[in-house]
Amino acid sequence: MNAEAPIIGSPMGISIHDMNKFYGAFHALKDFSLEIEPGEFLVLLGPSGCGKSTALRMIAGLESISSGTLMIGENDVTEVLPKYRDIAMVFQSYALYPHKTVAENIGFPLKVAKTPKAEMEAQINAAAAQVELDHLLERLPGQLSGGQRQRVALARAIVRRPSVFLMDEPLSNLDAKLRGNMRAELKHMQSTLGITTIYVTHDQIEAMTLAHRVAIMKDGVLQQLGTPKEVYSDPANLFVAGFMGSPPMNFIEGTLKAGTFNASGLQLSAEGLADTDASTMGFRPEDAQVVAPGQGIFDATVFTVEMTGDQTLVTFRFGDRPIVVKAPKDFDISPNTIAGVAFDVAGACFFATSSGSRLRVTV
Amino acid sequence: MSPQSPSIFEPRKIGEMAPATKVLLYTVLIGWSVFVIFPIYWLLITSFKTPAAVNEGPFFIPWVDFQPTLHAWKDLFIYDAADTFRAYFNSIVIAASATFLSVLVGSMAAYSLSRIEFAPNLITILYFIALLIGAGVAIGVYGTDLWLTLAVAVALFFMLARAVGRLYTVRLANGDILFWIISQRILAPIVVVVPIYMMFQSVRMLDTHFAIIVTYAVVNLPIVVWLMFDFFNSIPRDLEESAQLDGATMVMTFREIVLPLSRAGLAATTLLVMIFSWNEYLFALFLSTSKAQTLPILVAAMNAGERGILWWTMSVAIIIMIIPVVVLAVVLQKYISKGLLVGAVKG
Repeated sequence: MNAEAPIIGSPMGISIHDMNKFYGAFHALKDFSLEIEPGEFLVLLGPSGCGKSTALRMIAGLESISSGTLMIGENDVTEVLPKYRDIAMVFQSYALYPHKTVAENIGFPLKVAKTPKAEMEAQINAAAAQVELDHLLERLPGQLSGGQRQRVALARAIVRRPSVFLMDEPLSNLDAKLRGNMRAELKHMQSTLGITTIYVTHDQIEAMTLAHRVAIMKDGVLQQLGTPKEVYSDPANLFVAGFMGSPPMNFIEGTLKAGTFNASGLQLSAEGLADTDASTMGFRPEDAQVVAPGQGIFDATVFTVEMTGDQTLVTFRFGDRPIVVKAPKDFDISPNTIAGVAFDVAGACFFATSSGSRLRVTV
Repeated sequence: MSPQSPSIFEPRKIGEMAPATKVLLYTVLIGWSVFVIFPIYWLLITSFKTPAAVNEGPFFIPWVDFQPTLHAWKDLFIYDAADTFRAYFNSIVIAASATFLSVLVGSMAAYSLSRIEFAPNLITILYFIALLIGAGVAIGVYGTDLWLTLAVAVALFFMLARAVGRLYTVRLANGDILFWIISQRILAPIVVVVPIYMMFQSVRMLDTHFAIIVTYAVVNLPIVVWLMFDFFNSIPRDLEESAQLDGATMVMTFREIVLPLSRAGLAATTLLVMIFSWNEYLFALFLSTSKAQTLPILVAAMNAGERGILWWTMSVAIIIMIIPVVVLAVVLQKYISKGLLVGAVKG
């Protein structure tokens, strides 16, 4: 069988409506609603403890749904046992059966489904070929490297041709280089198979590179849902703005009054924004430039200069806040000198500091 | 000192010992081995002595100090063959059945305690016990009708469950249940042996295999639960969840995933419980008189005959009693290996 042969189940949409999870008095997931298209790659992104894994486990059926509904395709599966949901899951720990060989691990879902032996073998071989494991079928998981174990877990997930894939931080136990490779392979495999995928991660690079759409979560609440481009360039609130991007968005605190943003000696035009006592302005490090003193929006002292190879990160101190500017890779400036920071104020985002919500121009 | 040998000031390699340390260590080890093995050696030679040779005093070297004979072996295996083989057979049947029963029930209990969160209402347990005592007193002391009393107790239980159970919601957790189970071992066997004796007497089951098997199984149950609980806890839940998502039923998950992974724990627990049951003396002494007598009772009986202490036959009995345990330990040892979970999770 061709390794590239698409194994297509029937991709199904998932519709989550007002899903809640309580652990005693603790409200882990709050009114979580999401529509996922058939064949979509959706990433749940957020810091640890934000409820993203809980949401995934509820979709898998490993955690009960306290309230709300969950539909996979046309079926209401809110109360349905995991094995009837037609989903496959890749665990963060891989959860390989240590006493079974690679072939037995991959074939376990088929064995459970009482697939005839010849057919089972063919499918195991096809799945193993897909993740390039065909030469390791007789090994035990203990004899494999981390990357190989991860592939076994993937093969076990694809062998049954589920209608939904769930992945719980599948790459977090790999080293950085392998993670990059596996990321590309995962993306390729998902688009080849066309299986609806929900992927949980705390790594925003993974989220940006893999997802069709990203759902950003915090404290059990969905913060923003959109394409990677949307959540990056048009954050819905202060949390999303600060979470996406590396280094994250620069923030300057001040007040908005009569179309002007005031912050420690800074006066910027902010036409059309409502007056807000405590407000925060944000701009991306790559949208700013280092210029000669007096030429930019404000002047500040250079705190550190970091070379990353493809660019130079210049960190300033503005008040007690760090301001990072991405400069070209051959840019050179010594610390403790004073320089100007320039950026397009029209491209900056404004937020209400207390609620964190985005302030938009009212027409 | 040759130039190659490390000087006393040079640090030694890890794991390497100074010659003096080595000598000391081996002396201690050999001394300890002799101390441990000597009684078994003494046992062995005593079994080949005549009563006269035993009574002459402690002699240890065969053919020099005394002439080995099969006198005691013949005594036990030819003249008293019926008694010996019956005790041997009883011991095997009782120890094996009791072990099987307690490992089966105990590991199932341990598995459920490790995977399911129980939350029994404390007040429910308390009035269940109160009703049980009340019913017992009513039947035993006041002679009320058995079935009528039980029916009243059951009805009262459900009425209380509805009325009181809702008001007092202090709940116990798995840790409490586990502690209660292990607390069953706090009482010394000698304390409970009389009630157990009377229980079996009242159902006319003294001197039966069944009575001893059930007693041993119950006595060993806490140990099985305690050991297996820890063992099941060490199996990652991810594995079972993964199997569940792959479509496996609970029974299949247990058979395909949990059971093979807990083989080492089961082997160790089985061995331990088997040894306890095999060597048990007190309960067997009370619960058996002749038909269900086990080997320890047989051995002890040789201590109290009208012919004095029969050291020679006692040695033979002890030797044949040790053999099965050693065989079992060797057989099970290969399962009691570590590293069974390597590769299950992470790297």
